[in-house]
Amino acid sequence: MTATAPRPITSGLDPRFALSLYAHVGEQGSWTLESYRARGGYQAARRALSMDPDRIIDEVKASGLRGRGGAGFATGLKWSFMPLKDGRQHYLLCNADESEPGSFKDRYLMSEDPHQLIEGMLIAGYAMRATVGYIYIRGEYILAAERLEGAISEARAAGILGSKVLGSDFDFQLQVHRGAGAYICGEETALMNSLEGLRANPRLKPPFPAAAGLYGLPTTINNVETLCAVTHILRYGASWHAQMGSGKSLGSKLYQISGPVHRPGVYELPMGTTFAELIEDWAGGPTEPIKAIIPGGSSCPMLPYQQDILDLPMDYEAVAAKGSMLGTGGVILIPQNYCIVNATWNLVRFYAHESCGKCTPCREGIAGWMVHVYEKLVRGQGRPEDVDLILDMSDNIAGKSFCALADACLGPVQSSIALFREEYDHLASTGQPLYPRQSRWLGGGAR
Amino acid sequence: MRYFDDKPELVAAILAKYPPQGRRSSLMPLLREVQTALHYVPAEQIEEIAEIVGVTATEVRAVMSFYSTYSTVPQGKYHLQVCATLSCALAGSDELWDDLCETLGISPGEVTPDGLFSVQKVECLGSCGTAPLVQVGELGYHERLSRQDLHALLDALRRGEYPGPHSPLPVFVHSGQQEDAAGARHGAELKPLGENL
Ligand SMILES: Cc1cc2nc3c(=O)[nH]c(=O)nc-3n(C[C@H](O)[C@H](O)[C@H](O)COP(=O)(O)O)c2cc1C
Ligand code: SF4
Ligand code: FES
Repeated sequence: MTATAPRPITSGLDPRFALSLYAHVGEQGSWTLESYRARGGYQAARRALSMDPDRIIDEVKASGLRGRGGAGFATGLKWSFMPLKDGRQHYLLCNADESEPGSFKDRYLMSEDPHQLIEGMLIAGYAMRATVGYIYIRGEYILAAERLEGAISEARAAGILGSKVLGSDFDFQLQVHRGAGAYICGEETALMNSLEGLRANPRLKPPFPAAAGLYGLPTTINNVETLCAVTHILRYGASWHAQMGSGKSLGSKLYQISGPVHRPGVYELPMGTTFAELIEDWAGGPTEPIKAIIPGGSSCPMLPYQQDILDLPMDYEAVAAKGSMLGTGGVILIPQNYCIVNATWNLVRFYAHESCGKCTPCREGIAGWMVHVYEKLVRGQGRPEDVDLILDMSDNIAGKSFCALADACLGPVQSSIALFREEYDHLASTGQPLYPRQSRWLGGGAR
Repeated sequence: MRYFDDKPELVAAILAKYPPQGRRSSLMPLLREVQTALHYVPAEQIEEIAEIVGVTATEVRAVMSFYSTYSTVPQGKYHLQVCATLSCALAGSDELWDDLCETLGISPGEVTPDGLFSVQKVECLGSCGTAPLVQVGELGYHERLSRQDLHALLDALRRGEYPGPHSPLPVFVHSGQQEDAAGARHGAELKPLGENL
């Protein structure tokens, strides 16, 4: 950057910040082709189809876009791993399995503005010479799947999908494949197995999907939000995208916030916006005292609810520097008077239920022992040594499982003990939680 | 009774979504068809699907058992799923669950005598911003559900009327601008390529 380069945009309150991903969410009929075209839809695809595919990859690299599925891997770099035109079928997969607790952003991208995803997939497919795409959407997303199917039919009828896309020489077939309730299907190789009609156990890597993915052929998989961002990068330019954000985390991001705040929801903000801005200025602040914050979906270690954390920019490196992760950007607030062992047990139970059973540390460690010890604790039947037992088990599981699911479970486990050991010890030694259960069904849900 | 014999177009449309070497990919869509229509997948349909896809019935069962959606025993006409994961628990989903089970007098795995209802606790449904919620089978989500809302829903279903999903959007966007908690709107206008910033 030169000395005269403008200051990057790192706040949703910055007058230069413009919504892109969610700009039309909630508008009547925003999911139709007519509405999408009226706001310039598919012009970015037209532009892309007139470019050399490698230049599109360069543009995505220049934009600084990183995968929004949780890991934050550089999208342009990932695309460049696909083999050049080698005569084989290449596949593009969209990961729409969104099942990480605390995450609910992709759902509305698909139900409210599905054409931006279709356009992003067209562009990505063309750039990577993939002529077939599948959107793997979790089975429970009924409305989103219907709207996607509807949008795909409209696009086919209008010559936007199928053979000779928009009058070019490029063919692109796009299909929706619906899941059936299994969190592990979000892991990219498990997703491919599921799509092939198998049990969704993860595959050994290498080979990586770009070498041997779906049906053993070159495949790239991206999250819904990532592919939607591609549309806007091609529409508004790589430099527009790179102007937003902090450090190596650029662009606009969908942050989600749930738990006891006045306005839980999804907010589109530039990367690098602080937790404080999200929680206070956008979500209206907590409705009760908070003790912990899960920064980016349930796998991300909890952080204490205190000023230095609230002042952190929500970017990948800044959150990692505090020992956690930005993940999917799904923020969950845990109230002061909610038993932390109970909250953690809830998540351990989740991971235990979702363990695919392929490897021993996760099947026996998480789905067997870990959840068992937690259940004992929350029932008031724990022993004082159980807390150290949990830590000991965690050490034995960490880094030893086949995929990232088991380590994901350890995120909340280890962080909650580090932060709130006294709550664990109290429950383990007295059988009584420091914070007994209270009614939380707000006369119900009246917010 | 065979299910797919009189639906050749449906089967052909499903198979056509996948390449010839990926015939097996049709397994999940076919299972879903049956599960939605019959509220479970009977043994006969497992055989039928195995035949269509070209695998053994045991393999179909192995796949089915991996996923939480497919059931080998009949479920109620309305299969009510309650998310029990953290954000929903923070919004009282355990009380909702207890109320639901007590009201209907059933536990997971059972069906009410009139065949209308069955219940299941499920994991995060991607509705954490509008917790707590109940998913009614294949019909839709009912989010930010109060006790009154729950009972109104059950009453409607008992009368055989599905009121339609209730999925309020947890967003504050109005024509390209986002409203902050104080009510002010933010968001510049996007200009075409090259003219921004
Ligand atoms: C257990 C597990 C679950 C995951 N679930 C999802 C998911 O639901 N959606 C998603 O986009 N990525 C999920 N991921 C990440 C994907 O494996 C993959 O990194 C991502 O889809 C890549 O897309 P991106 O580069 O655009 O982020 C999951 C990973 C693991 C280990
Ligand atoms: S870590 Fe768990 S989910 Fe991952 S492969 Fe092992 S058993 Fe399966
Ligand atoms: S925790 Fe219930 S929908 Fe996410």
